[in-house]
Amino acid sequence: MTVTVPSGGGGGLPDRPSGSGLADVIDTILDKGLVIDAFVRVSLVGIEVLTIDARVVVASVDTYLRFAEAVNRLDLEQSKEGLPELIGDVTQGVAHNKSKGVAQGVIEAAGEKLHDYIAGTVEEPEPERRVRRRSGG
Amino acid sequence: MSSSTETSRPVGATAQGEGEIACYVYGIVPEDVNISPYAVGVGDPPGQVRLIRHGEIGALVSDVVVDRPLGRAEDLVGHEALLDGAAAEVPVLPLRFGAVLTSPEAVVGELLEPHHDEFAAALKEIEGHVQYVIRATYGERSVLHEILADNAEARRLRDQIRGRPEDATRGERIRIGELITQAIAAKREADTQTVVDCFATCTVAAVIRDATHERDAANVAFMVRSDQKSDFEMVLGELRREWADRIDVRVLGPMAVYDFVASA
Repeated sequence: MTVTVPSGGGGGLPDRPSGSGLADVIDTILDKGLVIDAFVRVSLVGIEVLTIDARVVVASVDTYLRFAEAVNRLDLEQSKEGLPELIGDVTQGVAHNKSKGVAQGVIEAAGEKLHDYIAGTVEEPEPERRVRRRSGG
Repeated sequence: MSSSTETSRPVGATAQGEGEIACYVYGIVPEDVNISPYAVGVGDPPGQVRLIRHGEIGALVSDVVVDRPLGRAEDLVGHEALLDGAAAEVPVLPLRFGAVLTSPEAVVGELLEPHHDEFAAALKEIEGHVQYVIRATYGERSVLHEILADNAEARRLRDQIRGRPEDATRGERIRIGELITQAIAAKREADTQTVVDCFATCTVAAVIRDATHERDAANVAFMVRSDQKSDFEMVLGELRREWADRIDVRVLGPMAVYDFVASA
């Protein structure tokens, strides 16, 4: 049995990948990385994969009104900023950009899970040395 | 059970009973790596990851059932977790989420073999490098205070909407919101440049990512050599101290070099 102990030094850069939130994962793996080229794509099986544009619409009337309200509240109360807003943005952006169908259901499911992740009810994957150099034994 | 090992099943052909199995590809690594039996990736339950070798390189793959859509939160996280875990140990060329080939033979014949030399060369190039992403976000209150302090028009509009109902001040609200958005965009450009400049001496390359949140201050991916990590960490600490009251600075990684492989 292998127990991976997080390295306890420094408190700066993590040695192991730090569990990033789903929003960060979406930013990273959906539109970055090598793409199998067109020739190979021909033989890709017909699996339905979401190709969402998870970009939040940065400038919209909704955003403007929200900023205005935040200004309005600025001196009156401690503004409640944070993640629920982000969740709304991500799932909404997705819904806007995707026509109906399996993919949307998938995304909605992902949106629900996003709540779970942020609420901490879904465990982050445990970082572990799962792929390593043979010689590195 | 249909477990005949045909080498080239026609696309879309379905086996009876369970859905057809295909090969999900995560990334390319050198052939001399070991995969732990605990390494899993996408799918439900998560598929066990194995290596398909060809020459000096190999592809990290797992079986995936074709008749089920991919893209649950667990699939996305599983894809990145596998690659990032690997990248912390060995050079990895990450594939974009969702690359599926019909069979292990197709992985060799259509991916590894035709691209063997360029993949092998790229792996040598990124050996000893990982990616970190600096994700900086303005605190809402602090950035609004900054903008109000700098901008007389914003202050005027603020006074007009203060305490008045949204319906009666919609025009003013949209104007002040737009003004704030523009002011943040200008700040973002400057602060992103600050991030790029700060880390220039302790990184190999940088890619500025698009803003994905309205209060993004900077979103920059860096390629970092192992011997640069302590400097990178030092600069990060300085930046966090400098921006403590304005901007929250998060660092993601170490991760595979997603932002630096796309151009191939």
